Amino acid sequence: MENKRRLFLKGACATAVGAVASTKFVAAQPETETIEADVNYALIHDETKCIGCEVCVDACRETNNVPEGVSRLEIVKTGPFGEYPEQYFRFSRKSCQHCDATPCVNVCPTGAAYKDPKTGIVSVDSWKCVGCMYCIAACPYQIRFINPVTKAADKCDFCKETRLKEGKQPACVTACPTKALVFGNLKDPDSEIVKVLKATPNYRSKTELGTRPKLFRIAAKEGEIVL
Amino acid sequence: MNPFHFDSLIWHWPIAIYLFLAGISAGAICFAVLLKHFKLGKDAYKSSFVQAACLLAPLAVFAGLGILVLDLTKPFDFWKILVFYNPTSIMSVGVAVLMIYQVALFAWLACLFKEPISNWCDHRWPVVDRVLNVLTRHEPTVTGLLVILALSLGAYTGFLLSALTTYPMLNNPVLPILFLVSGISSGAAGTLLGGLLLKGNPDGKEVHFIHHIEIPLILFELVLIFTFFIGLIISGGQSQVAAFTALGQGFWGWIFWAGIILVGLTLPLAFNLFMTASSKRKLSYVAITASCSLLGVLLLRNFILYTGQMTVA
Ligand code: SF4
Ligand code: SF4
Ligand code: SF4
Repeated sequence: MENKRRLFLKGACATAVGAVASTKFVAAQPETETIEADVNYALIHDETKCIGCEVCVDACRETNNVPEGVSRLEIVKTGPFGEYPEQYFRFSRKSCQHCDATPCVNVCPTGAAYKDPKTGIVSVDSWKCVGCMYCIAACPYQIRFINPVTKAADKCDFCKETRLKEGKQPACVTACPTKALVFGNLKDPDSEIVKVLKATPNYRSKTELGTRPKLFRIAAKEGEIVL
Repeated sequence: MNPFHFDSLIWHWPIAIYLFLAGISAGAICFAVLLKHFKLGKDAYKSSFVQAACLLAPLAVFAGLGILVLDLTKPFDFWKILVFYNPTSIMSVGVAVLMIYQVALFAWLACLFKEPISNWCDHRWPVVDRVLNVLTRHEPTVTGLLVILALSLGAYTGFLLSALTTYPMLNNPVLPILFLVSGISSGAAGTLLGGLLLKGNPDGKEVHFIHHIEIPLILFELVLIFTFFIGLIISGGQSQVAAFTALGQGFWGWIFWAGIILVGLTLPLAFNLFMTASSKRKLSYVAITASCSLLGVLLLRNFILYTGQMTVA
């Protein structure tokens, strides 16, 4: 009995050490992802220019073949604010923020949700996706959805597979009649996006969660002040 | 807001049942190990309660995995989870744990039932004897591994939810421990109930042993639930909103106070204390107590899953 108990303890200790060592190994893994790329795409939504026409939404649907009932992009309207003749609304963009630190990628069990190291674009490999919906729950911006046709998770990919491949700007950016959207490379100091970001005060959504979103917003001048 | 349908809801009740079954499996096998090592020894396999635990552990884990696979939007692609791994994903790590857990589980079951298996084979297949001998020689290692894997499995279901920064109520460090402890108590309840169904003696030493562990377990669970909500409330912001939404009036508030606190924890605690005081145990008492705990844990999983997804950071 004595001997058996000692063996039991020994076995337990050995496996405990093994378990601790393997979690260390797991924890050490993500370090490898720090290859410095010279492209890191981002987007600005200038709420002072946005008129809520939703032309961007339609352009996205058409270009990326997004089925009815789901959308990669929404314009969320709040308001009206102010008294009758002076009434105004506020429009804010709801789409993937292409987070630099990506909760959706971290949780995906198969690696179907991934961040392209060359462009910083977050996308989904619909073949690898099993549809566990873990990424959908993990995205604090709640912009992921299951594509009813492919049954895989889907979302904005900055038109990586469509317009960007042809060397063009994303569909929503080109379609916007008021030029409220600016797309470009944050690593290029001469790009329009960097110039606008340096010249104009901007904000991002839910930065306190540490996701480092790359959808920059220029606040509508007359917005609601929320406490 | 309908309690079962709201915009921010992603994971529905099948996930809650999966979390429940994984917990039961982990808990039941822990009690089988404890009973064998501290009470019954070599003859453990003859006990109805040990047999119940040994049936429950693999069945619950299979059923849970089945539900999980059916809940995928692409169930036929489930093998991709087994082939591709992402070390940063709690789900990936959990799937790995589940797989090794099942191996350890069957290895331990083989050790436990060595005698009946050998007798049944009647030395017709020498391989079986050889494998059993190797396994029993390493039984302490197998047992240690199994216990650690079972505990990891119990905690993993909590980690699965606590990794979600989207929902401040779920993104909570107490959750894995709460799920582990409630999982173990559901394993105890399942073992007792199953043991009675297999004609076990409601006044046997197994029942006494399990009840003695259940009392501190329930008290600990109450402390954890208290800590969980106090933590949310004093963090303020959306965490506080989440706590009040969950505990307030309405459907889920009722489930919490009447279902979880009263039926799931207070009644079993009272019955347990009463039965310990009045030494003799009756079948109906043991069965009712166990059913109350089981129901409580099932409700707890649903409550946390649904109310957790109601408030977004
Ligand atoms: S916004 Fe959501 S889907 Fe997009 S990168 Fe961030 S976490 Fe992922
Ligand atoms: S739904 Fe698909 S992309 Fe999202 S976490 Fe699951 S497997 Fe990955
Ligand atoms: S960048 Fe492309 S995919 Fe993303 S919202 Fe615009 S049009 Fe849609």
